[in-house]
Amino acid sequence: MSRESVLRERGADWLRTMVRIRRFEEKLAELHRSGELVGVVHLSIGQEATAVGICSSLRPGDQITSTHRGHHHMLARGLEPRRMYAEILGRAGGYCGGKGGSMHVSSFSEGAVGANGIVGGGIAHAVGLALAAQKLGKGSVAVAFFGDGAANQGVLFESLNLAALWQVPVLFVCENNGYTEFTPTDAVTAGGSIFARAAIFGLPAEAVDGDDVIAVHRAADEALARARNGGGPAFIECRTNRWRGHHEGEESYARPYREPPRPPDPLDRLEQAMAGAGLDAAQLRSTIELEERALVAESLAAARAEPEPETSRAFEDVFA
Amino acid sequence: MSAVEAPSQAKRLAPALADAISQCMRDDPRVIVWGEDVRIGVMGPTRGLADEFGPERVVDCPISEAAFVGAAVGAAVGGLRPVVDIMFSSFAYVAFDQLANQAGRLRYMTGGQLAVPLVVVGSAGAAGSNAAQHSEVPSALFLQAGGLRVVFPSTPHQAFWLMRAAVESDDPVVVLHHPALAAARGSVTPEPLGLGDAQVDPVGTDVSVFATGMMAHRARAAARSLEAEGISVEVVDVCSLSPMPWDVILASVEKTGRAVVVDEGRLTCSVASEIAAGLAERAFGALRTGIRRLAVPDVPIPFAPNLEQAVIPGEDDIATAAREAVRG
Repeated sequence: MSRESVLRERGADWLRTMVRIRRFEEKLAELHRSGELVGVVHLSIGQEATAVGICSSLRPGDQITSTHRGHHHMLARGLEPRRMYAEILGRAGGYCGGKGGSMHVSSFSEGAVGANGIVGGGIAHAVGLALAAQKLGKGSVAVAFFGDGAANQGVLFESLNLAALWQVPVLFVCENNGYTEFTPTDAVTAGGSIFARAAIFGLPAEAVDGDDVIAVHRAADEALARARNGGGPAFIECRTNRWRGHHEGEESYARPYREPPRPPDPLDRLEQAMAGAGLDAAQLRSTIELEERALVAESLAAARAEPEPETSRAFEDVFA
Repeated sequence: MSAVEAPSQAKRLAPALADAISQCMRDDPRVIVWGEDVRIGVMGPTRGLADEFGPERVVDCPISEAAFVGAAVGAAVGGLRPVVDIMFSSFAYVAFDQLANQAGRLRYMTGGQLAVPLVVVGSAGAAGSNAAQHSEVPSALFLQAGGLRVVFPSTPHQAFWLMRAAVESDDPVVVLHHPALAAARGSVTPEPLGLGDAQVDPVGTDVSVFATGMMAHRARAAARSLEAEGISVEVVDVCSLSPMPWDVILASVEKTGRAVVVDEGRLTCSVASEIAAGLAERAFGALRTGIRRLAVPDVPIPFAPNLEQAVIPGEDDIATAAREAVRG
């Protein structure tokens, strides 16, 4: 499909989801500054195109595992902003009843199996989910989202090996935002490129411009179509940028190693690409902005109005 | 699942574990076995399964504990019921993130949205000069991790029924088996045992001895020798550690008023410590003497046979502690 026709077919949906993610996360930054948001929150601002490009290639029944920085994956997978805010604010109506919080937002029934606070913690789960899907004949695929930090975790290599041996339908997505928590990734990562590490296990592996939603989507579509047809696992390194710190509020104790990058905004890039394809992108953008800002505000208000979880809930759900 | 049929003849312990797994595999196609050298079944619990179920359901893995336990967590969430043989339970340290942070937390963190019906089986205990990294009983660590069920059968009967219960459970269960008891014989009877059960044998009146695995065997031997001295020992085999069978434990001490707790793990923060603390809190009024703990001192398991013997509670140590408890 040509770039123009992809944009005509999907551009508006992509733009809407990317705007939703951006405005959702900006609100959280405000809430953190005001002290209303407790705990540690890692924002995905700047990484919208990666989540949207991958997740827009998924089907109902497909499953993702995510990371401590995973709000954009969840919104791109279709989770409701209201229930996400409720979870992140520790309210009863949150996806996990307020027991997970920002780092563990998940909705099993919608294929968002889990967000993980341990770097690399969910990678092997995706291999197992893919194996289960294959054995049970579900026809679905699993996607492991992880960061460049997890590229230095041993469990990634063990999982690549297992996935290649078992030829299960799993897509490894390394979201390389340039920072391993506070440390520039290139200072702690040997070998020059992360995707090449997957290629040695025989996986189709490539790096894409993670801020270009069209490029991410093309790579994901190709890899997922192959996986659905029995072609086994694949690896995509999405090179993107983290616009904010490792977590909100870190300026109280951490001095950045270098100025945050100011790359072209992935939202603006999509809008410009749509305009280039002959679409009335500026008009669409302003409509979407109005609607999504309203949705985010309403969702936050509804979540704030939710009660805290009953104290008794703290003692439930340990065992079946 | 179909009606459970206990093997009627005398069995050995490790084959009883394999019998339970194979029954579950026949009953439920979602039960899949993987781990290190499971097709030849080098550790016992999976021996013979590959012959019946083939390589699709009995899968040899690379030595990648974190990934194959992690994949089992994902597969369990995704609808399979994996039974993972990790060989030595000390190897669980390599996969501890997946057990403690993942298997034991996912249900809770997601507010009960999902289940992790996973079994991890591994040997625990000293089988004779395997030294510090292949001889430990790390059961207390699994209890401290939270969210994990833990069983440690000492007889073929316990092994068969507790493994069945583990595979049928919707929770992650760690099944420990003592390598020096793999060939221990016993009959498997139709009376089922489940998670949270204990076995009292022999019944006694003067002192309660709480023990698991090899320590339960030594406690039973000590009970027999003390019987000749006129001391009636009750041995409570705490074959389920999570859930802990507190009702049986407390009832025994309410009756005898004396407690010796034996553990093949290290003393500090051990299972023995937990049982002793629970008794002190909940049965203090019934106690006629101080609780005695016997466990491995806070050292690794040494290699030399005499040193290994020196650090692990023996039958004589148990008899001495029980005698002191009764006679002061």
